[in-house]
Amino acid sequence: MTFTLKLAAGAAAAALLAGSAYAADKATLTQSADPYFAEGQATLKRVMEQKTNTGKAKNIILFVGDGMSLPTVTAARIFEGQKNGMGDKAETNLLSFEKFPYSALSETYTSDGMIADSAPTAAAMMTGIKSPNGTIGVTSAVKQGDCKAGLEHSVPTMLEMAETAGLSTGVITTARLTHATPAATYAHTAHRDWEADKNLPDDAAAAGCKDIARQLIESPYGNGLEVAMGGGRTNFIPATMDDPEDAGKKGVRKDGRDLTAEWVKKAPNSAYVWNKKEFDAIDVSKTDHLLGLFNRSHMEYEADIANDKAGEPDLAAMTTKSIELLSKNPKGFFLMVEAGRIDHAHHEGNAYRALEDTVELSQAVKAAMAKVNLDETLIIVTADHSHTFSISGYADRGTNILGLATEGGKVLKGDDDKPYTILGYMNGPGAAKDGARADLTNVDTTAPDFLQQSLIPMSSETHAGDDVGIFAVGPWAHLFQGTVGQQYIFHVMDYASKISEQAASM
Amino acid sequence: MTARLDRRQTLNVIAAAALFTAYRPRPVLAAPPDLRIPDLYGARMAFSDQAKALTGKEITLAGFMAPPLKPDVKFFVLTRMPMAICPFCDSTADWPRDIVLIKTRDDIDWVYFNVPIKVTGVLELGTEVDDETGFVSEVRLVKAEARTL
Repeated sequence: MTFTLKLAAGAAAAALLAGSAYAADKATLTQSADPYFAEGQATLKRVMEQKTNTGKAKNIILFVGDGMSLPTVTAARIFEGQKNGMGDKAETNLLSFEKFPYSALSETYTSDGMIADSAPTAAAMMTGIKSPNGTIGVTSAVKQGDCKAGLEHSVPTMLEMAETAGLSTGVITTARLTHATPAATYAHTAHRDWEADKNLPDDAAAAGCKDIARQLIESPYGNGLEVAMGGGRTNFIPATMDDPEDAGKKGVRKDGRDLTAEWVKKAPNSAYVWNKKEFDAIDVSKTDHLLGLFNRSHMEYEADIANDKAGEPDLAAMTTKSIELLSKNPKGFFLMVEAGRIDHAHHEGNAYRALEDTVELSQAVKAAMAKVNLDETLIIVTADHSHTFSISGYADRGTNILGLATEGGKVLKGDDDKPYTILGYMNGPGAAKDGARADLTNVDTTAPDFLQQSLIPMSSETHAGDDVGIFAVGPWAHLFQGTVGQQYIFHVMDYASKISEQAASM
Repeated sequence: MTARLDRRQTLNVIAAAALFTAYRPRPVLAAPPDLRIPDLYGARMAFSDQAKALTGKEITLAGFMAPPLKPDVKFFVLTRMPMAICPFCDSTADWPRDIVLIKTRDDIDWVYFNVPIKVTGVLELGTEVDDETGFVSEVRLVKAEARTL
């Protein structure tokens, strides 16, 4: 057929010539008047016009949505679109980072696990190697809990090398600052649970292992981190000290050290804040090192932030302030931002809070983009691992994403003659332990506290082993292509910024 | 929002077959006010006016029974959402703020953590540290009886 031949000839020409020459002799197809066709053409044009940036990445911002599986991204995109009144167009919505020009798939298996936990996955991004589940900042020679091996096989992180190279560095999270993902920027440990000294077994302490909170405050690289904000206050204050926010509660440290006070004393122009009012009052022009600990344990879910006792900033506000502070350094900065509780809501089997936190991550990325020059800032958005969350059934466009699957106005049912929700989990707290699954006919599944049903009853829904997305913009973002090992993220960040080279030359 | 929980009564109908031995039919007098845990709180986790007004009085609270801290005790934690463990907490000290300590009249028949229940008891507000367990509570229902729906 001449038609096929013409296209084939065109394709050959395109391979030899610039893409624009090819566009001229395109065939007119019957479907070309269809709006979806126009959309496809617009996308083609946009991608063809994309110019790769091979300049140096002065700044790097790595956003990690903990547990932000690809279905979570898709569901959050629809959820946000529906909240914004897009109706049956909500499926066409995109989160801020989904508009980034480049993306890849990240394989999340670890050196010993088909399915990962958050410790070695964040460490893979920070160190460029995969390592065993439960460990942070060490090689695969280390068994979880083996303190001595951990000390012997510790490897430098991107943040540490950035500090050594004279860049400014920061880590912010909505989880505890000592939790696995943020810890991977600054800590090395054979066990992710060693968050405070009370969690360190005696033999590990005797062998010289330090708890994670202490490692943050004592970080020996450069002049120490410029920004560290999140939850987990109890791990930084002594068991004898009253918590400032919750009456009757105290810290957990056995060594009597108040690490918040040590942070303030360690360097000039250092500050510690623990509530929103103090956070808002921070003048970045007068502050060089900022520690924020806004909750005893994790910070609130985005959906519950208004209920916080003393008030706390949201992820977007923390991101903005961090960039303002870090940008003071003419050499550039490295910042990790974790939306740490997408994962927790999934573990609870509660899609609503997982999606709200994902939308907040999108807002934080948007806030970051408004604060940096994308010509010299590499922004990466990814997840550490997946969850058993899925979007299923044959729901019509515009069906409430939190609702029952409906088609043509009719509620769809399983073979048990009961309706089912669009969102669900393979396992978790939403399963009936004995007997049949609940009939959702008269249940408001869109209520914030509703737990999606699952198959296997488990007190905590599990992680999953499917790939997660990497979305990137800025210098060398085009190096994210195809399906890659998670540790590849480190290699692109380092190639784009030359941070390890700079650190080695210091 | 009470209606929402009422609609959830259908949840886990089968599991609800396990009734509490502690449950005794109550005399049909004026039914105690039917509340949800969020009704006890106002802005920033301060107690609501309704909660303050009902202190010392018998109320009914809907929620879920967290698994026992240990067996053979006459207390349990009532949670707003099903919560088997606190998978993201490092100790029992890190439970969510809006839990209610339930001290029961009789022995407890434990039910699975995601089975909706209602508890009737006398409302107490204010910090209390349990002598035996060291458990810190802000809200309690005492002389309580629990039942599945």
